[in-house]
Amino acid sequence: MDHLQTLTWSDTWYLAPEIVLSAFTILLILLDLFLPSKVNRNVIGWLTLAGLIIASVFVVLLLLSLGSEAEADSAAGSYSLLSGSYRIDDFGNLLKLVFLGASAFIVFSSLGTVREEDVPVKGELYYLILPAVLGAMVMSSSGDLITLFVGLELLSITSYVLVATRKRSRLSSEAAFKYVVTGGVASAFILYGMSFLYGVTGGTNVFVISQGMSAALENYEALLYISFFLMIAGFAVKLALAPFHAWAADVYQGAPTPVTAFLAVIAKGAAFAMLYRIFMNTVFLAFDSDNTMKNDIFLALSVLAAAAMIVGTVGALQQRNVKRLLALSGVANAGILLTPLALSLTEMHASLYSEFLYFLLAYAFMNIGAFSVLTIVTRDSGNEALSGFAGLYHRAPWTAAAMTVLLCSLAGLPVTGGFLGKLFILFGTVQTHTYWLGAVLLLTTVISYAVYFTLIRQMFMRSGAIDSGLLLSIPAAITIWICTIATLVLGLMPVPILEWINDIFSVSTDLFMLQG
Amino acid sequence: MSTFFAEYAWLVPVFPFVAFTVLTAMGKGLKKAGAWIGTAGTFASLVLSLCIAAERLSGDSPDYSNQMDWIQIGSLKLTAGFEVTNLSTLMLVVVTLVGFLVNVYSQGYMKNDERISTFFAYVALFTSSMLGLVLSDNLLTFYIFWELVGVCSFLLVGFWFQKPEAKAAAKKAFIVTRIGDLGLFVALLLLFWYMPGHALDFTSIHNVFNDSQGGAISTGITTLIALLIFLGAVGKSGQFPLHVWLPDAMEGPTPISALIHAATMVAAGVFLVARTFDIFEASQVAMSTVAIIGVFTAIFAATIGMAQNDIKRILAYSTVSQLGYMMLALGVGSVTGAMFHLFTHAFFKALLFLGAGSVIHSVHTQDIREMGGLGGKMKITAWTFGLGALALSGIPPFSGFWSKDAILTAAFDKAPILFVVGAITAFFTALYMARLYFLVFMGKPREGQHAKESPAVMTIPLVILAVLATIAGFVETPFNGWFGHWLLGGQEEHQASGLVMVISAAVGLLGIYIGWLMYAKGTIRRDAVSSRVPGLVVLLERKYYIDEFYQFVFVKPLQGFGKALELFDDYVVDGIVRLSGHSVAALGRLNSRLQSGQVQAYALTALLGIIILILAIAGRRFW
Repeated sequence: MDHLQTLTWSDTWYLAPEIVLSAFTILLILLDLFLPSKVNRNVIGWLTLAGLIIASVFVVLLLLSLGSEAEADSAAGSYSLLSGSYRIDDFGNLLKLVFLGASAFIVFSSLGTVREEDVPVKGELYYLILPAVLGAMVMSSSGDLITLFVGLELLSITSYVLVATRKRSRLSSEAAFKYVVTGGVASAFILYGMSFLYGVTGGTNVFVISQGMSAALENYEALLYISFFLMIAGFAVKLALAPFHAWAADVYQGAPTPVTAFLAVIAKGAAFAMLYRIFMNTVFLAFDSDNTMKNDIFLALSVLAAAAMIVGTVGALQQRNVKRLLALSGVANAGILLTPLALSLTEMHASLYSEFLYFLLAYAFMNIGAFSVLTIVTRDSGNEALSGFAGLYHRAPWTAAAMTVLLCSLAGLPVTGGFLGKLFILFGTVQTHTYWLGAVLLLTTVISYAVYFTLIRQMFMRSGAIDSGLLLSIPAAITIWICTIATLVLGLMPVPILEWINDIFSVSTDLFMLQG
Repeated sequence: MSTFFAEYAWLVPVFPFVAFTVLTAMGKGLKKAGAWIGTAGTFASLVLSLCIAAERLSGDSPDYSNQMDWIQIGSLKLTAGFEVTNLSTLMLVVVTLVGFLVNVYSQGYMKNDERISTFFAYVALFTSSMLGLVLSDNLLTFYIFWELVGVCSFLLVGFWFQKPEAKAAAKKAFIVTRIGDLGLFVALLLLFWYMPGHALDFTSIHNVFNDSQGGAISTGITTLIALLIFLGAVGKSGQFPLHVWLPDAMEGPTPISALIHAATMVAAGVFLVARTFDIFEASQVAMSTVAIIGVFTAIFAATIGMAQNDIKRILAYSTVSQLGYMMLALGVGSVTGAMFHLFTHAFFKALLFLGAGSVIHSVHTQDIREMGGLGGKMKITAWTFGLGALALSGIPPFSGFWSKDAILTAAFDKAPILFVVGAITAFFTALYMARLYFLVFMGKPREGQHAKESPAVMTIPLVILAVLATIAGFVETPFNGWFGHWLLGGQEEHQASGLVMVISAAVGLLGIYIGWLMYAKGTIRRDAVSSRVPGLVVLLERKYYIDEFYQFVFVKPLQGFGKALELFDDYVVDGIVRLSGHSVAALGRLNSRLQSGQVQAYALTALLGIIILILAIAGRRFW
């Protein structure tokens, strides 16, 4: 790596999704600035949506072209830009698609439900989603610690602003402040860990690091431990794994509901992408399967996953505020999403990525759907308490039915995507003989029924204070139904989706960076 | 021949399902239109089914099947798909045709019911499930649809849930058939376990069991599987000893009795045995069991039918008895005979039930002792009912004669004793139908009864079914084996036997003659039997005390056991549950204390957390 590979004009094709998002961001900032304040900012929302959709189209085109190249030559199927600091591969592309799609649904469903009185800077709420998604995309595509960190900060800092957009709400400002502080702490942990890693291996590129690992292990074992555990701590905060999760409930509660959904799905997914990329390429790839340090690190991840599942579920039992309840349910789900990665400690089970992505998909749909319902119910009842859902069935039977499906998916009941997603991960624990983690997953699932059925009981068996029908905005209704149907489809026909993921994703070319 | 329409056979159950979805979604706002949506859905299925049948009539069309992977777990793959064979085509036509006519009829019969659109929604769901069952290409999806039709039957029997009898009947129907369903489910598990490659599709089952010399599955297990499948069929098709639910199910609306409890769902048991016939053929014990249970049910139910006074119950026992005939046919190895009788029975029994419905609609009672002389006022009903009764009684040339003759011939070839019992049953059948007909339609009209003919929407289905009940038998006669050849590709030879035909026609005519002497002419006193052996009549009226026996032997002890379990549940299980609940809640409170709202506390927890993690996991390496 004598001199840096520079960007050429032909590379713009590979970077098209990112370029589209950047361009739209700048344009919308200017538009928001020059548009008279009388004009409804929904137009910015629609343009944001357009940007997200155009970027998704480019990602799909890239996926297809990579796929046809991989067919021609099995070693191909991924692209490396800027000396391996940026990679276009199917791992990243699939995740980008999830992020872009999820953001599009969130923006779409919030059109018409976000009120000026609540969020005075409606335009910003919409267009700031774009750089945040851009950050998430950089995180899923980078092969270098520095670009990864830049992506992380782009996402984080934008999210801090997004959380604060309910400018008149004291809760929102408090949440944003807490998010800045804890987010900063997390970034510090990660950066500190990364700097040790750079120090002992001599590289920031993930491929270079993995080559330097065995030498570093001989000379600086303790430093290497410190480095990885610091990174684990940082990611644990970002992912809201217990006991690093305490901020999540406060921030989720204070943020506008669409932003909460964004944090729950995209911010979390992007942190997972980064975690998978770094840990699989360094710890897993560089060490033999019986290496003690490797076992220790994956054990730490397993313990964190188990702790998150237990604390998230048990904590959610106590909540009477639906947003906080969903925040803690997100903590438990983060534990589940971490499980496939943590399982690598015994052997590589090849379905690791499809397990993760399948549950992430199911998780994205059920959360976006549930948060969309929550937005509407909250707007209607004026608060976020559980009692706002009382008697929903009598007021809006179809919305209540959709919410029931989404909650069943969160609880992991058949025939929903949440059920199969958990089931596949459970199979993973059995395959790798990590029975204790599987037991924790099962046990917390059972407890979580109590959490979600409290909500269902409210909707069907309590009579609410309001008798009039529920006012549904059309985009929100469409989003809720798409999410509900997708949840059911994921629960009914897993094979085509799993086969599709397995078809395009190959561990060796897409996750590992063997060729640097 | 082409398989153009067969490839779209999956659409047949979809149409009624769409109708069901629309009806459920639009709900009560629809009223009149709801009935039309339901009817239209079934009509679309009927048209497509007829197209498929027309395409396959020549008999040399290849079977068409298509499946997709449904769930894959490791190397285990479950598929879902559909299969069009001549057997399933026959069932498609029967189900959609009777379903459509019942839909039309119900527009008149249910006109004034408040929940008419719910009724049509249930009927559409039933039709869809039944068609799915018929088309299933493997036992697993078959079982799912099998349960779905059971649910629909439950919903429709209890449709008038304001009546306590209807509620009780719905529960009874559901619980009693569940005993059979459990048998089928265990059979399914056993098959899954023993079949090579865990295959559950009918083609693999055919291949494995047809070649019993291959010894893939031992005879003992084969017999066990066959008997368990038969248990499922016994429950669904109301065979002894699980027949008790079917007469009670008459509490449902009469069109439902015609559709579900005469023509289609109860015949699903027969269809199931026919579909898995290779398993039965591989086990002599199973075949004998089927034949004996079948013939016993036939004569047993026919005798009960003679002593009942509720018009629908008489027909219900008659259905049980006729299903017994079908089982007998299967037991003596004649799938053709069974399916042929299923085919003709569907028409004439649906006709009889709809005719009975027309009578009930007009006189508002179900007790035949309170009827009489209705023939004059309800000409169409009386004539069509008469044709149906003749078909059921097995009088040539009506359809029932030919199909019953096919069964009796097969029984005669196999074991003469089965034939003798079957022939006696035929005599009883003719006798109770004669009693029913003469008491209801002949004689003097009752005073104060203002019977009038039902509207055209109800009588037109009667006429269509009457035509079918008259002529449907000609597809298979001793002189023309077209049906059997078409259905099974000529595997079975229908042996014409003049003796059997003469006996079967003679006992039928004798039964009607005696019935005429007793109930129309009065030459024989009606109490001729009851005055001499009163105990026998009471025994028949009380249906051999089977219900009382079950109540005493099964229901009461089970209820006692349930009480004991309830106590155990209240104190032991709930105690453990409360304990675990409290401990989880305590953990939750601990978590809430961490959630203090102080951001510095959060950061401190994070720091402490990572230190503990490092010490616990990494630290142990350095000490």
